[in-house]
This record gives sequence, structure tokens and C-alpha cells, in this order.
Amino acid sequence: MRHLELQARPWRERDADARVAWRPPADATAGWVSMGAWRQRIGAWQALLASHADGSGHWLLFDPDPLEFSAALVAIWERGEQAILPADDQPATLAALRDSGQPLGTLAGGLRAGGDRDPVWSHRPLPTVAVTLYTSGSTGEPQRLDKRFAQLDAELTTQRALWPYAEDLVIGQVSHQHIYGLLFLILRPLAEGVPFATRPCPYPETLHAWLAACAGAGLQAALVSAPPALSRLPATIDWPAVRHAQGRIYSSGAPLSRTASDLAQALLGSPVHEVYGSSETGGIAWRVQQQGETWRTFPGLAIESDAEQRLWLRSPHLADPQSWQRQADRVVLDPDGGFRLLGRADHIVKIGGKRLSLTAMDRALGELEGVRRAQTVTLNRRELRLGAIVELDPAHIPHDHASHRATVKRLRRDLARRFETPALPRYWRFVDAWPTNAQGKLSATLRERLFADLDDRRAPRWLGERTLAEGIEVTLEVPEHCRYVDGHFDAQPVVPGVTLVHWAMQLARRLFALEADFAGLERLRFPQPLLPGDRFRLTLARRRVKESESLMITCESARGLHASGRLTLTERHHVS
Amino acid sequence: MTTTALEHELKEMIIETLELEDVTPADIDPDEPLFVEGLGLDSIDALELGLALQKRYGITLESDAESSRQHFANLRSLAALVEARRAN
Repeated sequence: MRHLELQARPWRERDADARVAWRPPADATAGWVSMGAWRQRIGAWQALLASHADGSGHWLLFDPDPLEFSAALVAIWERGEQAILPADDQPATLAALRDSGQPLGTLAGGLRAGGDRDPVWSHRPLPTVAVTLYTSGSTGEPQRLDKRFAQLDAELTTQRALWPYAEDLVIGQVSHQHIYGLLFLILRPLAEGVPFATRPCPYPETLHAWLAACAGAGLQAALVSAPPALSRLPATIDWPAVRHAQGRIYSSGAPLSRTASDLAQALLGSPVHEVYGSSETGGIAWRVQQQGETWRTFPGLAIESDAEQRLWLRSPHLADPQSWQRQADRVVLDPDGGFRLLGRADHIVKIGGKRLSLTAMDRALGELEGVRRAQTVTLNRRELRLGAIVELDPAHIPHDHASHRATVKRLRRDLARRFETPALPRYWRFVDAWPTNAQGKLSATLRERLFADLDDRRAPRWLGERTLAEGIEVTLEVPEHCRYVDGHFDAQPVVPGVTLVHWAMQLARRLFALEADFAGLERLRFPQPLLPGDRFRLTLARRRVKESESLMITCESARGLHASGRLTLTERHHVS
Repeated sequence: MTTTALEHELKEMIIETLELEDVTPADIDPDEPLFVEGLGLDSIDALELGLALQKRYGITLESDAESSRQHFANLRSLAALVEARRAN
């Protein structure tokens, strides 16, 4: 199939009986969608736009259906008008973009095209800007990105020169509202004349069924995927039966782990081609990890790195193809011309393949009721998840399991108006006072201490400490899944007194640099047990009574006293 | 195994697999939605849960994503799915 630039309007040029899309097997009308049938959808959208045009020439387009989305996009272009693509359909995203254009598609209040109509081709020129995307900038404010046709065409030409779609169709597991999906699932198929699947394919079981249908029909499919899907392919599915239908696999959004890359290749029988780039820059480089870990720049691009290891880029995919642009990513250049990624220099992270500004999250959290200050941190758990350190007004501090759950639920619900669910913090640490080291900073050591119980099922949840006249007061919580919590199926689980003693000893060793062992209890009382989820204060003081060293402990929660008394200690004997 | 015991086992599997640090089995109402509102699970969790079910019970989900994910609506529907399909 002949490659056509977008500026050559492939939607007009291709034969009416050429295939534009593939309906997967579960659809009532499985099979091919012809260019002619799809043009009727363009006509339907043209009629809709004509009857609703308000003169602004700006349209806000969100539609998960690739056929409707692409038809609407072309209809906007044919009017010489501007398509604005929101990254998601969260209410807050839409509220921020409300005045930027009329909503189309599945957005709340969005207009949808009616029945099929013949398209109308005029002499109107294409708009200057092909699409406007919104992405998280480092300040947290959504950043507007205009993509001109020349940029998109340059990108399509690069991709095609490197790895033309040789498959019979393209299956997608990512959203076409973002640049990667837009290029690989909509624009490349149109330019290269390869059909795209009419629905997204989010789950591995669906992928298996579609590949089985392809295998049965003697077809091969390219897969446009991302790390969340590729790193969770079940080995129990009968992939060997459908493997020969699997063509090239693409992944973008975030680097794929080597393990996931190997597993995807083993299961699907085809290597994963990773694409590195961003909404701002378009594609920058690619790699197949089995051939080498380093990224290779796309042909026609030039890269450099500076004293701060920041990446500099000159690329035909940028608005100005001649100038060098500094990027937020840090890299190490390899002698062979490739590079390794070191991570970003700003507060942008990728969760579930989607970009998130931690600055924006921190600000949103800080604005919620009862929150004095908040900072989110990335935790490398199950890929990447957020933890939140939140200083609350005293009245909002949760004191037990139920109020902790209720607080987390409330904060997550409020944040969900602005952020997609995977981006919401999963691990919450509510502090009474902002934890700082001697330099007044919430250091990496403190951040680790706040989340240490996640990796140590025997540790309490540490939430801060301060020095009082009577000793050092440590604020803690009983983790719900703590190993020491005693209790069976029906009985109320409690924290045994011996666990409190153990925790007190551990803390004392760090706080007092104590080199002593526990020797016994003296007048130690446990009036009532601590329950899972309880927030409590453990106050520790070191005393020397007569010749022996001892540790005074008091443990209190909102429900009252849990322990008080003295632990006697023996000095550790060192062998010198 | 009774349904109640299976439900409890699934609750523990969800908590353990998805590392829900402050959720106990008693917090999961069998009729409450697991996703978004309710327990607050997300699209990444759905993939992990599918993986865990296949590993633990040898269950294969349908290719029809929508009907397959309907089983994930709440704990009761999940238990019914495991009951009906577990490889014994």
C-alpha cells in the first residue's frame, strides 16, 4: 500500500473498497469496514458539525471508538478547524477545558453524529494545527501542545521508514487520545493503508480471542501496547495456538522491565519494540531489549547531553526542526550512539503508563478539607504506585481503623474528580506534624521510615516523633496486616503486650543508640490491648536506677492507656 | 468449601495481591462494587486480579472483555465465577 502524508488527505485518496478497519469476532458484524463505509461516518460528522458550528472553529473531541473518533477528526480537518483532544474524560479535566471548544463524542454533553451521510470534499485548506493535546507540565498545570501537520507527517514518515506496518491489521491496548495511540492506532494506519481494530483491546483474554480469529483467517496483527498490559500477560492462556498471528509488538508510555519484555516475547512469540518519546517531543528513540538495553535514536534526530546529564534534542518531530531543545529526562550517552535513561529531572512520573505531575497531585491534596500539607512519593510496588504523606488538622486525624478507612476514602473520592483512579495514592501516612530531619527536611531516610512497614510485616507504621520533657514520643499505627496481630477468623484480633515491648526495644535502640538487651519487666501494666489500625503514642525514656539501666515506656491512644511501666536492660557484652 | 469460606479466601487474595494495606476482610462488603467507588480498585488492579485468579484457581476468563469483567463487579459475583470455573 502506498504511503500518504496526512497533508495528501489519505481519507479522500484511498479506494472506496480499501479496508480501513477490522471488526473483531465478538461484534455482530465481524469483518472489514471499507473506506467507503467509513467515509459515510465522516459525512455524518460533517453534517453534525455544520449544524452546530458556533464560529469558534474549536472542537473538544473524546471518543473511545476508533472509527467514530477518526471520522470526527477528519470531519473537523475538512472544515479547516481545530481538534482539541483531552487526555481523559475526568470531570476536572473537562471543567478546565470547557471554554476551549464544543464537546464531541462520549464527553458529558458531547454531540454525537447521526446516520450515515455522503462526505463533502471542499477546497478549504487544512487547518495549521492538526491537533491540540493537553499533558501534565512540570508545574502541574495542564500544558497545551499544538501539533502541526508537518510535525505529524514527519513522525509518520520516520516510523514508516523504520518499521512499516507489514501486518494485515493493527490492534491497540492504549488510548488514541494520547500522542502514541493517535500516531500508531489512527494516523499511521491511515497513512500506510493498514486497517485498525474498531475497538480497543484492554485485556489479555480479548487479545487471545482476536489473535485466534486472525490465525483462523490467516491474518497477522500488529499490537500497539504499553507496560501495564504487557507486564501482566497470564502464562496460563494458550498463546502458542495463536502466536503465528502476532506481528510486531510496540510498547510506549514508560520503559518495560527486562523481565516483562522477555516474558511477552516468550508468550506472544514476537519481540517488543519499545518507543521512547513524549507528547511534546514525539518519538525520540526505540529499543528491543533482547538486542540491547540502550535506546537508539530514530533516523533524522540528533541528541546530546549536558553537564547535568539532561537530554538535548533536535528533531523533525518538534515544532521547530532546526533548534535544539532541552528535555526533562536525564540520560547517559553510550559510545555507540545509543543512550540510557536515568529518569526525569522534574516531578513527573508515569503511573499505569500515564503521565502524572506530583506537583499537581500535592497541590490538589493540599487543598482538601483538613489537609495542612501533603507530599506524594513514588513507591516501587507492583510497578509504581503513589504513597501520600499528609499532615492533617488535629480534628481530622484518624485514630482507629474505621476512621482511617473513612479518611482515605474521602480523600481519594475528592481527588478522583481530577485524577484517574490508578494515579490516586494507595498508601497513606497521616502525620500530626511535618516530619523533618535536623536540617528541617523531609529526607529520604524519613520517607523510607514512613513506609518501612510495607516491607517489614513485623514493624509498626511510623508517623513521627518528638522530644518531650518526659522522653521521646513516637507516633505509630498498628498495621492491619501486621504479623504480630493475634486473632483468628471470628475473634477480634489484638496486639499482644509482648509485641509492644519488642517495638519499644527496637525504637530505643535507634533513639538512644542503645546497646543493651531486654532483661525483664518491672511493674509493667497492659490495661487494654491495641487493635489493628489503632494510632498510638509510645513514649520512651532512658533511666538509670541504682546500677541498672532501664527503659520507661507509656503507650496511649485515643481510647486511653495501653501500657506503662519499666523494662530493665542488661548491657551488651562485646567480644573485643 | 462453603461459599462463605471461598468469599473469605477471595477477600484475602484481593488484599494480599493488590497490597491493600488498610483493608481487612471485614471491610469488603460482598455486594459492594470492587472498582472505583466501593473498594476503589482500578484498571491495573483488574489485570492483576485476572492474573491471580488464573494462577490460583486455573480460571480462564472470557475473551469478551465486558462480560468477563462483569464477574469482577463485586465479591459475590467473583466467588460465583470461581465456584463455577475452578479447575479441581
